[in-house]
Amino acid sequence: MEREILIVGVNHRKAPLEVRERLSFDDGLLDQALRDLMALSPVEEGVIVSTCNRVEVVAATSDGDSAVEALVAFLARGEHLASEQLGKHLSVYRGREAVRHLFRVAASLDSMVVGEPQILGQLKEFYSRAASVGSAGTVLHRCFHKSFSVAKRIRTETGVASKAVSVSSAAVELAYRIFDRLEDKTVMLLGAGEMSELAARHLLAHGIRGIIVANRTFERAIELARDFHGMPVPFEDFPRYLQLADVVIGSTAAAGYVLSRARVQEVLRARNYRPLFLIDMSVPRNFDPAINELDNIYLYDIDDLGGVAQDNRDQRGREAEKAETIIEEEVDSFWRWLSALDAVPTIVALRQKMEAIRKGELEKTLATSLREFTPREREAIEAMTAAIVNKILHAPLTHLKQHDRQREAFYVAAARQLFDIEEPEER
Amino acid sequence: MTTVSLAVALALYLLSTASFIVHVITGQASTRRVAIAFLACAFAVHAASLGVRAFLLGYESIATFQQELSFIACVMVGLYLLIAARANLTVVGALVTPLAFLFTLSALAFNAPTPALPKRLQNVWLPAHVAPAFLGYAIFAVAFCLSLVYLLQERQLKAKRKGDLFRRLPSLETLDDLNHRLVTWGFALFSIGLITGSVLAKETWGAMWSWEPVEVWSAVTWLLYALLLHARTVGWRGRKAAALTIVGFIVLVVSFVSVNLVFPGKHTGTFG
Repeated sequence: MEREILIVGVNHRKAPLEVRERLSFDDGLLDQALRDLMALSPVEEGVIVSTCNRVEVVAATSDGDSAVEALVAFLARGEHLASEQLGKHLSVYRGREAVRHLFRVAASLDSMVVGEPQILGQLKEFYSRAASVGSAGTVLHRCFHKSFSVAKRIRTETGVASKAVSVSSAAVELAYRIFDRLEDKTVMLLGAGEMSELAARHLLAHGIRGIIVANRTFERAIELARDFHGMPVPFEDFPRYLQLADVVIGSTAAAGYVLSRARVQEVLRARNYRPLFLIDMSVPRNFDPAINELDNIYLYDIDDLGGVAQDNRDQRGREAEKAETIIEEEVDSFWRWLSALDAVPTIVALRQKMEAIRKGELEKTLATSLREFTPREREAIEAMTAAIVNKILHAPLTHLKQHDRQREAFYVAAARQLFDIEEPEER
Repeated sequence: MTTVSLAVALALYLLSTASFIVHVITGQASTRRVAIAFLACAFAVHAASLGVRAFLLGYESIATFQQELSFIACVMVGLYLLIAARANLTVVGALVTPLAFLFTLSALAFNAPTPALPKRLQNVWLPAHVAPAFLGYAIFAVAFCLSLVYLLQERQLKAKRKGDLFRRLPSLETLDDLNHRLVTWGFALFSIGLITGSVLAKETWGAMWSWEPVEVWSAVTWLLYALLLHARTVGWRGRKAAALTIVGFIVLVVSFVSVNLVFPGKHTGTFG
């Protein structure tokens, strides 16, 4: 049976947010989920990746078909999602496809906003969780480490990640087109969504002075404000604090506008018409689009920010092409390693290598020092050297013929390295 | 001699303008340094040329339309070099430099011999009137360029248009702050020029105010800039302030040209 890597899951390309949310793995339950994953019989190794854009299981198996089935059931677990309902949102990558997908994810080529830097850190985090639980083995260790080095290579060799591309970086870039410096500015978070939190972190990294957090659940506002050394305010009171803010990020789940044009006009007067940068991160929108008609107000919604990223993506088309070429190279090299990872070809290669050494040395000796030997004596020497090689190889070969595929992969990888059997991608 | 040095300065302005344009289009950092270097050389040559002429004549001479333009261009460029050292205002330079080029070009093109300065005008009030007034004009010219860039950046932000060019524009806050400061200084100098001018008028013509075209125009311009500064205190910042700065400068140019070329009064090089 051929060893295979596969990825089963949902991502932003085919699955809407509601589906991704339902399938996502809670951080506290991740270790247990990894153990459950390992309990599935066709799965030899597994890593779970669960971010807001994707919920994907990366697995190594020797029985691809039944593993796919088992993984789909695993993903649908407690959720009563009918398989066929899940099916149309599901993405399944097998073999080289799967390796390519993992490399592209790591290099942020598959991100909603191509080139955003967060995904690599997230991937490393999920991998190390799996490694500590023990669900990642030889194949996935190699595959993930390779994906990290591919990501690094793409970062340094291409311009894919060189510009601000994530929505939050786009927000920072815009802030710098409005404001001279951020050190004396204040940001207000309306609602404590993941995206707005991320944007706030970016702004803080650029030195923004103060943070005001308003959230419907006041406890969450306090928690977040403590995180940022900011000031929590009750949600109902946020209009009173609005005049203190220079950047306002809205991400509440409100069905209607929480900020009207008239309200902003009042705020503007109160702040003597100093410019105000409003970022609407929520769908449906939090801020009335008519606000943008006011002087000294700059209102951007998530689409507008995405538009910024889109622009960057167009400019980087050629860079992305370069990145895809690197991906293909690395997939090839990984694939050569993986297909050599089976016991049988390794045993064959090992035997061939030993046999070549034996033959070479034997011929050399028989042609020189043992020149006078009779054919009978030569046969005896021949038999003896063959026996020595067989005896030496016996123990290693027994270990290579493991029934446990995960251990087998480990021994095969070790043997190939110890005996220096050609591993094309090693530099 | 001064004509030759002015021509050299003119060539350097042209080279600097070209480098600025290349920088704005490509964003290469090296072209920006080249543009600034050319501009600094042009300024040095231009200022030296003005200095040599003043030395030869024995007094500061900003008597003819051409000399006025040349003086304004030189001060504008000096001022720009001064502020460009602090903030990245390359795009503003791409406006200031061609403007300086145009002014210097017309100064060369309409070059007329400097008439001798009448004895009665050779007193302390003439430089006290002319210097601040033209310094003010130069400052207003730079403020005008800043305002143009402000309106461009503001429109792009409102329209949510992106691109490398707009990323190279200075921030709205930078532009607005600088504009405010420049207009304040320009207004102060312009006001001094008006006051010393009326003293000079009293000394030479006997009346502080005689409804000269230049006096009327100057009063209108002064009122416009006064209005702009006042409006800022009640929240007219940003786009409105930039628009008003542009209107103020256009009025200034119209008055300058019309007074000098269309309705020459006692103020032009003839000294009535």
